[in-house]
Amino acid sequence: MAERNLDSVKKIREAVSQDLLGGRISQVLGWEKGHYWWQSRPLFARSEADLEKLTWDSFCVINLSRYLLEELKDHEKVGVLVKGCDARAFNRLLQDNMVKREQVILYGLPCPGMLDYNRLCEEAGAVPDGIVENNGTVVLKTDGGEKEVQREDIMLDKCRECVYPDPAAYDQMLLSPQGEREAAERFKPVEELEELPADERFAYWEKELSRCLRCYACRQACPFCSCRECFVEQENPRWQGRAYQPSENFMFHLVRAYHGTGRCIDCGECERSCPVDIPLQELNRKLIKDINELYGDYEAGLDAEAEPPLLTYRPDDPAAFSEK
Amino acid sequence: MSAALNDNTAGWEPLIVSFCCNWCSYAGGDLAGTSRMTYPANVKVIRVPCSGRINPMFVLRAFQRGADGVLVAGCHPGDCHYTSGNYQSRRRLSAFKRLVEFAGFEPERFEVRWISSSEGDKFAEEMTEMTEKIKALGPNGKMRDARWQSVI
Repeated sequence: MAERNLDSVKKIREAVSQDLLGGRISQVLGWEKGHYWWQSRPLFARSEADLEKLTWDSFCVINLSRYLLEELKDHEKVGVLVKGCDARAFNRLLQDNMVKREQVILYGLPCPGMLDYNRLCEEAGAVPDGIVENNGTVVLKTDGGEKEVQREDIMLDKCRECVYPDPAAYDQMLLSPQGEREAAERFKPVEELEELPADERFAYWEKELSRCLRCYACRQACPFCSCRECFVEQENPRWQGRAYQPSENFMFHLVRAYHGTGRCIDCGECERSCPVDIPLQELNRKLIKDINELYGDYEAGLDAEAEPPLLTYRPDDPAAFSEK
Repeated sequence: MSAALNDNTAGWEPLIVSFCCNWCSYAGGDLAGTSRMTYPANVKVIRVPCSGRINPMFVLRAFQRGADGVLVAGCHPGDCHYTSGNYQSRRRLSAFKRLVEFAGFEPERFEVRWISSSEGDKFAEEMTEMTEKIKALGPNGKMRDARWQSVI
């Protein structure tokens, strides 16, 4: 499986082992193969033996920057492999003063887009035994034979819509850049919802949010949700009730999305990690769209020096309400 | 959602929660009072130090606990007692207003107004207008906490 990646993995391993074994860093955050071939899970490499497990394939979707919040408590200096969205997540954490730049070495990995297991199965008609990646296409191997599909067709939604596959921040770029992708119509679902009458929109959200288990996986996966104490766990005042009812679902999801105003890097990890497929990106993107419309285009995470729109103002700002 | 909440019978009066900044809008309300202007008693005023103090969770909590409309009132841009509080809240609340509309609230349910301490007449006017708009819209059942019993 994924033979063409062997060179890349070797290159990555060489680069990080130099720093790790040379003592510049005490840990590398990367990926290793999980229980199944279609899973790559985070690897916390501290030794040469750990580095043997390091992998880089089409399932390394988990954002490693988020793990820095914990890992930097125990380590002076950590190396992290970052894809496009991971690097933007790192910038997000940097802007929030949650990490220190000098404590981290970023190894940039231009990302070809990660594959969606559900789509793989759908295309193959069964759970494939493995895949072989060619240039732009993927061969799915099943008992019944082989099937070649376009890579783009079996990518995760968030990767299909990704515009910045190359890391925006890095110390070392390990592979050759992908180049900017064509801007997808990411605001289309938001615009369609905006056209509905208010009551229908409410009914839509009531239905979608009714599935919410309040597992907070969206928050755990999110690079902008880095508060040490989250409002959902605050006891006094207790903003978030535990009851299962529409009112509490709205409270959680509106406030979660709102906390990302001008901060959400649009990486889609919340939606991907949601076990009940709530379209969380639509809430996030609504806010991105409005902020862009009202206060000028801003792409969170691309530039750690740029001022986030809600941390600044201009005296002649427009408003979404009447100012007479 | 209980049927009683959506029952738009003759006896229903809207509940409007108005967050007023201490320095302008609350003083504007005072002026309206001392000048003997009238505005509907449906409006319950909550004094906050600045419109920048408004946490959007205040607004959502008001809707949960029975508000039919929420109005945030602050100093005119440029007149903030803390220099920039209302500039900050203008950005935040603009984004938030669009978000609650996106979630399915009618645009009239949540409003922001700038009212200075010398605008007693404007205060009374805005409160009357808000009440009339919400009366026309009817009771708000969206996001209402089903366990919450109104005491008014």
